[in-house]
Amino acid sequence: MTTKRTSKNLYFHLSRRHFIKGAAAGAMIVGAPAILKGLTRTAKGAEKGTVRMLMTAPTMIPGDWKTFEAETGLKMQETVMKDDTGLFLTEVQVNDAGDRFDIISTLAGVERPLIEGGNIIPIEHKNIPNWAGMPDSIKAVPYLTRELKPEGGSVWGTPLAMNADSFGYFPDKLGLPYPPEEVSWSLVFDDPKTMGKSATGTMFYYLEECAMYLKGSGKLQIGDPANMTPEEANKVADYMIERKKAGQFRSLHTTFDDQVQLIKNGEVLAIRCWEPAVKEAQKAGMKDFVYSNAKEGYMKWMHGCYIPAQVADRGNIEEVYKALNWILSGSYAAAISPLRGYVSGRPDLGAQYAKEKGLDAAAAAAIDEAQAKLGKKFAKDLFWFTGAPDHLAEIQAAADRFVNA
Amino acid sequence: MALAEHAAGMKLRQFLPRLSVGIWSLSGFTFLWVIGIVVPLLGILLFSFLQTKGIKVQWDLTIKAYEKLFFYGGGPLIGRTIRIAATMTVIELLLAFPFALWLAKGAKNQNLKLITFTLLTVPFFLSPVARVIVWRSVMSVHGLVNTALLDIGLVSEPVEWLIFSEFAVHLGYLGQYFPAMVWPIFLSVALIDDEYLEASKDLGASRLRTLVHVIFPLALPGIVAGIIFTFVPMLGDTVVPQQMGGGNVMMISHNVYTMIGASNFVMAAALSAIILAIMLAFQVLLWAALRPVGGLNNVFASLRR
Repeated sequence: MTTKRTSKNLYFHLSRRHFIKGAAAGAMIVGAPAILKGLTRTAKGAEKGTVRMLMTAPTMIPGDWKTFEAETGLKMQETVMKDDTGLFLTEVQVNDAGDRFDIISTLAGVERPLIEGGNIIPIEHKNIPNWAGMPDSIKAVPYLTRELKPEGGSVWGTPLAMNADSFGYFPDKLGLPYPPEEVSWSLVFDDPKTMGKSATGTMFYYLEECAMYLKGSGKLQIGDPANMTPEEANKVADYMIERKKAGQFRSLHTTFDDQVQLIKNGEVLAIRCWEPAVKEAQKAGMKDFVYSNAKEGYMKWMHGCYIPAQVADRGNIEEVYKALNWILSGSYAAAISPLRGYVSGRPDLGAQYAKEKGLDAAAAAAIDEAQAKLGKKFAKDLFWFTGAPDHLAEIQAAADRFVNA
Repeated sequence: MALAEHAAGMKLRQFLPRLSVGIWSLSGFTFLWVIGIVVPLLGILLFSFLQTKGIKVQWDLTIKAYEKLFFYGGGPLIGRTIRIAATMTVIELLLAFPFALWLAKGAKNQNLKLITFTLLTVPFFLSPVARVIVWRSVMSVHGLVNTALLDIGLVSEPVEWLIFSEFAVHLGYLGQYFPAMVWPIFLSVALIDDEYLEASKDLGASRLRTLVHVIFPLALPGIVAGIIFTFVPMLGDTVVPQQMGGGNVMMISHNVYTMIGASNFVMAAALSAIILAIMLAFQVLLWAALRPVGGLNNVFASLRR
């Protein structure tokens, strides 16, 4: 005769003491990875000759790192995470990214809480030979030297690449001029010609851009589009909701691929997008699709490189400086400008490199164009993107209100 | 050597509590469940009643997050999410039930069955984005469907609502969650003894009567599981609303994501708590709906046969 195990006699088997014993042993099993994590962190600290970089945009990679490796004798191991301020700050401040990376790079402006949190250390720019010759207009970008505590007036970042973002459009289809003629942001927000055929995105910075357009065209009084008050953000959201309900937007994109698809599938006539998306469309044969020179201004941004606090005791800071110096070299400039249209910290060295190495005409032209941007697009007043405005949560919530409408 | 190993084994046994496998797995599972599921959920719930500045938490309980949520368009968002998920669950059930019935009892050709099984597993190993993104090329203004419609002269202008619309979101969910509804129903129908069906026929029951009074009650465990596996994941799906809705048809999950991106953890927690509340309400509804047939226990008892 066999005893059938029911929940009742199982209860007798499972006394409280047994249960606690089991749970304690379970805790050991669950806790083991945390202990191991501590051990591996120390072990993973220094691998001589390899620089590990955390990036928030794959478009910052200069194709590959072969030239970097040949010219510096170092190896580059890059990890790209989503370009998302909150996730990046969580990764650095809560998940201790500095334990695993020697350089962290993200949108300049986002580093402010990292300085306040002691997560990054000041940069000794004397250790970066290419820093000195950087154009004054780049040195003056508000996010490189900060007057913040604990070390006021310190240099906290070096430029990785920057751009002045606007929107792409089809001049022929819209009966509009090609660049360098300027066209208005109204193509994205309220031009009847693009009704139902324009697109912008879901993140909060698209709200800031609309604020720039409204301010630039005199439609709304806005203090600083890059650092709006919650009230200002809500007024801009109201305007965008009104435009959305009027049927202005075909779609609100969420990723780079989204942008490319919208252009390639013929869904839009004007789209707020990254310059690389225009390059992708042009590569696919859409030569009549161009990146605008915008009347009201640009969302100027810079991705900066920062040194995590943990590097100070890691014994590889010379290698880190060597890598940062390469990013400010002609090689990086000559790679990133033709590839993405971006401007590096030393576009002049890029032009010099192109001449010395005899790069092809198209690459040389792209490098010259990048250099020219400094005097044209970057010279416009509006506006430098901060990445982390004071009222980020409220501004994103206002953007969500527009998205949910 | 063998003695040393034996001694080591003894030590290990003395060190570890002498518990039977059942107790080990039960207490271990309970522990993991509490640590891995219950504690984070309670954490989310607690967080939704706090305020933060950056990553610093202020420990005063408040319902501000919920108030703000409704100010920032949370009401229509929640309504839309429930409406779309519920509609699609019903549609999936209506399509999946006859399909599962055919697969379990109707399809006699083994090769055909095998191919169908394989096709049903595809969504489980293909990335959700890859599965959905295909629709965008098919349904875009210059896509396959619009080209065909224009070519045969059914329309004179491309149909724009095929993509970036509520219709598109429904369509995106259809393929994505069809297997999740089919599998459990198929399993419960496959377990029904053919003799029951024959007995019903012998007693003079029509096909419809057999379906309603024999097959349906016995397939109920699969139907319940199918509804849960379809409705609940739809509430948290970020891919379909984004890719097919194109930002025009937002659902709760996208907002949770953007709020985390903006370090607005409290509002993200409040929205997540609302998803939890919807799921709880759904369970209550399910419980109430199953009461006339003897409750959930009784429904699953039909599997013991």
